[in-house]
Amino acid sequence: MTSAGTEALEARSDINPSTEPPAPKDIAGRSPTRIALARLAKDKVAVVCGLVLLLLVLAGLFAPVICNALNIYKDYSPGAPRASDVLDFDSYPLVGPPYYPFTWDHPLGVEPNTGYDNLALLLYGLRTSLFIAVLATVVSTVVGVTLGLVAGYAKGWVDSLLSFFIDFMLSFPFILGALALAPIITTRFGGNSETLGRAEFLSLVGVLVLFGWMGLARLVRGQVLSLREREFVQAAQVIGVPTRRILFKELLPNLVAPIVVSLSLALPAYVAAEAGLSFLGIGLSEGTSLGKTIASARGYYDTYPLYLWVPVGTIMVLVIALNLLGDSVRDAFDPKTRR
Amino acid sequence: MLGFVVRRLLSSLIVLLLASFVVFAVFYLGPSNPARPVCEGAGGRCTPERLVAIEKQMGLDKPVLSAYGEFMGGIVKGREIDFGASAYDCTAPCLGVSYDTRNFVTDELKERIVPTILLAIGGSIVFLVVGVTTGILAASRRGSSTDRLLVSGSLLVSSIPYYLLCLIAWIFLTLQTNIFPATGYFPITENPLKTIGGLLLPSLVLGFATAPAYARYTRGQMVETLGDDFVRTASAKGLPRRRVLFRHALRAAIVPIVTIFGLDFGALLAGTIFTEAIFSIDGIGRWGLEALDSPLDLPVITATVLVGATFIVVSNLVVDIAYGFLDPRVRIG
Repeated sequence: MTSAGTEALEARSDINPSTEPPAPKDIAGRSPTRIALARLAKDKVAVVCGLVLLLLVLAGLFAPVICNALNIYKDYSPGAPRASDVLDFDSYPLVGPPYYPFTWDHPLGVEPNTGYDNLALLLYGLRTSLFIAVLATVVSTVVGVTLGLVAGYAKGWVDSLLSFFIDFMLSFPFILGALALAPIITTRFGGNSETLGRAEFLSLVGVLVLFGWMGLARLVRGQVLSLREREFVQAAQVIGVPTRRILFKELLPNLVAPIVVSLSLALPAYVAAEAGLSFLGIGLSEGTSLGKTIASARGYYDTYPLYLWVPVGTIMVLVIALNLLGDSVRDAFDPKTRR
Repeated sequence: MLGFVVRRLLSSLIVLLLASFVVFAVFYLGPSNPARPVCEGAGGRCTPERLVAIEKQMGLDKPVLSAYGEFMGGIVKGREIDFGASAYDCTAPCLGVSYDTRNFVTDELKERIVPTILLAIGGSIVFLVVGVTTGILAASRRGSSTDRLLVSGSLLVSSIPYYLLCLIAWIFLTLQTNIFPATGYFPITENPLKTIGGLLLPSLVLGFATAPAYARYTRGQMVETLGDDFVRTASAKGLPRRRVLFRHALRAAIVPIVTIFGLDFGALLAGTIFTEAIFSIDGIGRWGLEALDSPLDLPVITATVLVGATFIVVSNLVVDIAYGFLDPRVRIG
């Protein structure tokens, strides 16, 4: 992304951006990360997106609490209404939309065919989406950064091998890869619905990571290739600092900006990918997912529009907010942007 | 130059061989048994003894390397495929026999690839025209409100998940308002007009969803080129603005865009699964998705993944070699 970004970070930037206090007013001695955060706080789009995201994250985080308080259920757990109580013979709901007036028992209505509560499905779906996306982002960042660091720092055959592996993985079509792995998981764990759910969850994160780490690895490798020749690394080598320390204490702090940027752009991509794969039926088939809800709600666009458009709108808002925030983060961390 | 081409060809071949082996091995060693649907479909009870016999007949008891060799041999020179009761003489290039339809995968592939190619061409026309024009427009009025509107608009469009865009377009434009004809693939040999009608909306959605990336890229390239000396010279000698933009600046800026287009086109040929699934177009992507329904159609999945990877690798190769011809600096690397 920005080679100049890392150069600007040269001075000192081992500060963790998440625990950063609000930028102080004084001009002297601000680290580039601080400057970026101060820029971000002034960006109206970023602030609005951040607030929207905070709301959605809280909704997902407290899904069980909210569902308990409202007494709504996403499955047939004890206490949930039976399907025959809330559904008509034609499988459309007996309470709430589309044919009956609004009720506080089911603020967004109930799902046709199953009788689950739509709000509960939405909250738990949000939880699943965010959980999977965050997990995949963290793991793929760790993998990408580590492999990129190693490939860039170790010359010779290690670099050639890793670079070949990166190119090899990039030549696999992502969705086709997911398509190929889905049946294997389903056949292996198909017997038990609980283990199937867990296996699908892990394999989904695995697929996202498997096809998601290469971009960052390439980027980090390129940066390390040039950083490796700098004086501070040579100095560390000369005084006998162990390689692992050079990699993670000397080189890594210089890569904060590209890593943060790639992280913030990976997150929306993973949210969209999770819902998309579940929509195609090759993501989660057990458990709750917004993509799965959209797939089953497709046919109801005419008769029960609320059932379809609420999850569609939620994913859209979530992904757009994440994307716009990611774009603002990129601008904020780019020293070439002047404001 | 020849050395560069040969080296690039060889490395692509290695990537393809490795990719095909990984795909093949994942299925071959995977938990699902291709003999089971054959055994159950043959009529009568599927006893364990019969299952083992069919496995042996299908060659599933062989070690993975020799089975892979046989599969690759089939692609090169054809092979015999035994399916319990019935045997198939599969001529080269043989990708196996579908468990579901019992047709040759190669034959079905030839049919299925037509809509995917048409869709890729249709989508490309739209995103090249829309994206490049928008990019030129934004770059030529850099800093103006038009520029800002185009840039933020393209950011917003590219932020929306693609499949939701497809879904919304499909529901609003064909199902509820009938603005566009019903989507799908109708054989081009029967009624070309109907074919175009069925692929019109999918191509437009695909094009408009991909266009922002091209707009941003074109804008960046054009802004750079417009600052160059030869553009200033062209303007200074009194050429009309349009001529400067299209004849002089665009020509210099278009090369990297062609590169990206080459890669994207390869990826489109690998199957636009969401587009095909939502608009019910019987292309490669939807074929692969359908093969997941039970009974699992392993030869079809293997073939779609393989063909997809081949398209991506080949497009990479073509772009690299073309670039080597266009830009002498690349040849050394």
